[in-house]
Amino acid sequence: MEDSLLEKIGWKKYIGMVSGVKTGEPVLARDIRRYALAIDDPNPIYYDEEAAQKGRYGKLVAPPGYICWAIHDPKLEKRVEELGEDGLANFLGIPEFPDAWSLGWVRGGEEYEFFKPVFAGDRISVQVKFLDVFEKQGKSGTLVFTNSEATYTNQNGELLAKQRITMIATPRKEN
Amino acid sequence: MTGQVYFDDVAAGQEIPPLYKQVTTVNIMMYLATVWLLDRIHFDYPFATQRRGLPHVVAPGNMAIDYYAQLLTDWAGNEGRLVKLATQYRNFMLPENTLECGGKIQKKYQEAGKGLVELELWIKNEEGVMCVPGKAVVELPVRGN
Repeated sequence: MEDSLLEKIGWKKYIGMVSGVKTGEPVLARDIRRYALAIDDPNPIYYDEEAAQKGRYGKLVAPPGYICWAIHDPKLEKRVEELGEDGLANFLGIPEFPDAWSLGWVRGGEEYEFFKPVFAGDRISVQVKFLDVFEKQGKSGTLVFTNSEATYTNQNGELLAKQRITMIATPRKEN
Repeated sequence: MTGQVYFDDVAAGQEIPPLYKQVTTVNIMMYLATVWLLDRIHFDYPFATQRRGLPHVVAPGNMAIDYYAQLLTDWAGNEGRLVKLATQYRNFMLPENTLECGGKIQKKYQEAGKGLVELELWIKNEEGVMCVPGKAVVELPVRGN
């Protein structure tokens, strides 16, 4: 029986911890448009101010899935030489614990509840609560699962969405 | 898009019109550049295949959220609303895959005058492999409200 990875990293103590609030720069119409092009969704409310005015929200809106990208922490935008080997600096869902990057991460699943949309020009804030961490024996060894809940609000303090994220971590190994 | 779908006109067991999506490497590149996602498995073919043992570069799992959002908001129309959406990342979506995004109504109920519909969702590739199963709750307008 191998040693418990979870005990070794000691993350149980973080359960219930709430992050500080992060606030993004204003959401650009350009980013909404490019995002909609990337996901190949032709709905004119993402591209065309006039069409959006006639739509349900009356102004340019972002696709629902854009919300988790609406906040970028400038501290996490790094030069190439400072990035991890995977190319990753960080992204939401990976706990910001000092030793988080000693593990490799994949996204297990997520669950959104949407209340209000993101509009061009909005400044979105997020706060993340660390809900749980547990380990399971997988086919290729020990897997650590983390559950977090991100709460998104806009500049008026309105609740926009809640997102529960399950991430799966494994000890790093090279092929 | 067709006319507005109403809560009154749907029933458990019905499938909603599927959406077919093709993920190309260009779509993936557009996504990565827009959201500043720099994970090499999404764009660096030698890294993805030789170092991580993947069959190709892989689409970001988040794109499944967007495909489902398109499927469901197109179906729900101007007066409908996507309320909840859950995904499980089971198999990677790969470039040149043609993905079928579909949904089947599990049940419907009213809550505080709102018409709510629960759906089971799937994104399968052309070989029928389930990539991202999902679930959703969609609000539809109720006739006469």
